Amino acid sequence: MLAQIQYRASGVIWMIGSIIEPVIFLVVWSRVARARGGEVGGYAENEFAAYYIVLMLVNHVTFTWIMHVFQSRIQFGQLSFQLMRPVHPIHEDLSDNVAYKIVQLTVMLPAVIILILIFQPKFNFEMWSLLLAVPAIILALAVRFTLEWTLALVAFWTTRVNAINQSYFAIIMFFSGRVAPMALLPVTIQSIASALPFYYMIAFPVELLLGKLTPAQALTNIVIQLGWLAFALMLLVSLWKVAVKQYSAVGN
Amino acid sequence: MIEFFRLANVFLRIGAMNEMAYRANFWIQTFESLLSMATALATIAIVFNQTDSLGGWQRAELISLLGVYFLVLGTINLVVSPSLGRFMEEVVDGRLDFTLTKPADAQLLVSISEFRIWKILDVILGLIVLSMGLLTKAEATSFASALVFGITLLAAGAIVYSFWIILATLAFWFIRIENITMIFWSMYTAGRWPVTIYPPWLKWILTLLVPVAFAVTVPAQALSGRLTFNTLMSAVLLAVALVFISRWFWKLGVKSYSGASA
Amino acid sequence: MVAAVLADGLHKTYQVPVRGAGIQAALKSLVHRETEAVQAVKNVNLEIAEGEVVGFLGPNGAGKTTTIKMLTGLLHPTTGIAQVFGYQPAKREHQFLMQITLVMGQRNQLLWDIPVIDSFDRNRVIYKVSKTDYEKTLDELVALLDLDSLLHKPVRNLSLGERMKCEIAVALLHRPRMLFLDEPTIGLDVTMQRKLREFITQYNQQTGATVLLTSHYMADVQALCKRVIVIHHGSILFDGYLDHLVQRFTAHKTISIKLSDPLVDLSGYGELITRSEEQAAFRIPNREAANFTSRLLRDLDIVDLTVEDPPIEEIIESVFNQSA
Repeated sequence: MLAQIQYRASGVIWMIGSIIEPVIFLVVWSRVARARGGEVGGYAENEFAAYYIVLMLVNHVTFTWIMHVFQSRIQFGQLSFQLMRPVHPIHEDLSDNVAYKIVQLTVMLPAVIILILIFQPKFNFEMWSLLLAVPAIILALAVRFTLEWTLALVAFWTTRVNAINQSYFAIIMFFSGRVAPMALLPVTIQSIASALPFYYMIAFPVELLLGKLTPAQALTNIVIQLGWLAFALMLLVSLWKVAVKQYSAVGN
Repeated sequence: MIEFFRLANVFLRIGAMNEMAYRANFWIQTFESLLSMATALATIAIVFNQTDSLGGWQRAELISLLGVYFLVLGTINLVVSPSLGRFMEEVVDGRLDFTLTKPADAQLLVSISEFRIWKILDVILGLIVLSMGLLTKAEATSFASALVFGITLLAAGAIVYSFWIILATLAFWFIRIENITMIFWSMYTAGRWPVTIYPPWLKWILTLLVPVAFAVTVPAQALSGRLTFNTLMSAVLLAVALVFISRWFWKLGVKSYSGASA
Repeated sequence: MVAAVLADGLHKTYQVPVRGAGIQAALKSLVHRETEAVQAVKNVNLEIAEGEVVGFLGPNGAGKTTTIKMLTGLLHPTTGIAQVFGYQPAKREHQFLMQITLVMGQRNQLLWDIPVIDSFDRNRVIYKVSKTDYEKTLDELVALLDLDSLLHKPVRNLSLGERMKCEIAVALLHRPRMLFLDEPTIGLDVTMQRKLREFITQYNQQTGATVLLTSHYMADVQALCKRVIVIHHGSILFDGYLDHLVQRFTAHKTISIKLSDPLVDLSGYGELITRSEEQAAFRIPNREAANFTSRLLRDLDIVDLTVEDPPIEEIIESVFNQSA
């Protein structure tokens, strides 16, 4: 029981870490809105609170950590064990990922409630957007999970995994709506973002839930998500084949 | 004092060799530091694309603030955090016993045991960005401001070090506290922005609970000439107080670890 | 003359949290911490003169490490006095710490990723050893322990035995007067164990350093220590010469014979331990040993006969069992 409490405590600690960034940007952008007379980029002061709280939740649902642990998996031989099983290792990772998130909700939800009480966000939920948000979020998770699992495979070819991960996180900071809602970014960045998968992994479900999109836009984006998912899966399958071939040849 | 320099000399030399030979690669470290700085600067650019001032701070001042952030963070990550991180591991695996049977002050040994030399890149980047911000500012920085900046920087160093020691000392009682240090790092990122823009409750936390305000915002305020005499005095007094408190707490921790009766 | 080590009425009691099983007990423990006192060391008295090599023997959990920790200042005794060279270890005075050294079998003070010689250098500075002394001591240790090829390798590239040799060397760079060796040979192969024992003996003879060595390997104690302190359940069971230990705690002798006629019936002579065609071994109570031997020699055609004490492990086992 004590072990459970300690485990729960570390969950709280992890969660505090993942809340801080959205809270910081929430405050920064609210101040900018205030300085600009109450609104900037189509977002009112208390809409930023809504944006970042929803962002936090969507990020929680879609995030993965596999790129941080894949290298040690190879180094310490767990990968060899996994390759011997008849099931592709990605399944185990997916179920671990989802299970962890469900458990973490017990810590996450109270935190979200507290944040709502503190920052008084303004939500614009509509029935259709809530309904569409379900497939949007599931697809977002699928795309992000597949892409990040593929990213993790670089560990087969280099030890400089940290630098690559850091680059990835820097990119998604800007292109997935974490630094700022997409509408606040320079137009060139917005266009580039629409051609990249990152917007569809996080910012799209957030904007959908906040009522920032028309049904037409939402449906188009869902189709694009499907496209990215197909691409990501193809990329994963081909890279995995190459990776395993090399791994077995070297005989780790 | 001489003792400190003698020990520091050999520890730093050995720590540096360690880094250079086995752990890190200069080019990768440079890349990571530059990427980190670039991301932060880009963030400031995006914010100032939409406004001219944030909580009264101009873009140039915010850039200086970022420079101070990297400077202070880099300095701590150079020696203090890796060393105290290792101390926390050694409490768990029992190697602390070796440290405690050495004829040298344990707090000293424990504070300088590791030297991540490549973090000097963060320090240098911080200084560069800091200067850039100062140069592009509307008014020039006065010599007095620079002097006061120096004082607040020293105070910041003392405050953050003492805070770290207090945190690390907890390892004597709560053996596995690495997770708690993680909170500190997350909260520290709030220091990239002036603490004055945060709501009061968060400002309070970032001042008294996790000394981010005194570590970053206060020196930056000194540079922009916003520093009030009261704040300056608080910083200096807090620094002195924390040095003594942390030392006392550390000794308490060692006593408790060795089962001394009260 | 000041004794090297003096312990008088040393006690160490730990308060260990007690937690029952089940949810109710767990919840209760959050509110009210129940502890129970565990006596790790009970009324230990010992005196070691300078230059002695003393073995501290006992099973796991007997109190050896706790006693060593009290003698090195790592633990404060609950009651009682500990003194090393007249200093109270718990005060951790620098002059005291300069004169002792601690080697722990399972743990390394050497830095993992850097060459051995750099870890040596670090200790040289910490212990304020002069350059000349350092070079002299280093040369001696390199010669005695055969470290030449190891000095410039990072510790992680060394085998377990090589690592232990370097651990001992780094611990001796400041020429301590008192060596506390806590299970230094654990996990090492037989050859390396022997080499380390030889080194310790030589070192003691050359420098006159006092050695307190804990072990649960009998071979360590037999080879190194004339004097043995046996500790179990926190109390000292025996403190004296190894031969006396054997004498006091053995009630039996092992008598082994080699026969010319393999088919001889040996029943009725005494407790047989082993029997193969031409050889047999008996376990005979001490007082009957003489009579038994003459009987054997009279009745049977014996090619060879030896009278031995049982293996020391057995003796120690029985010592522990007696006190349990």
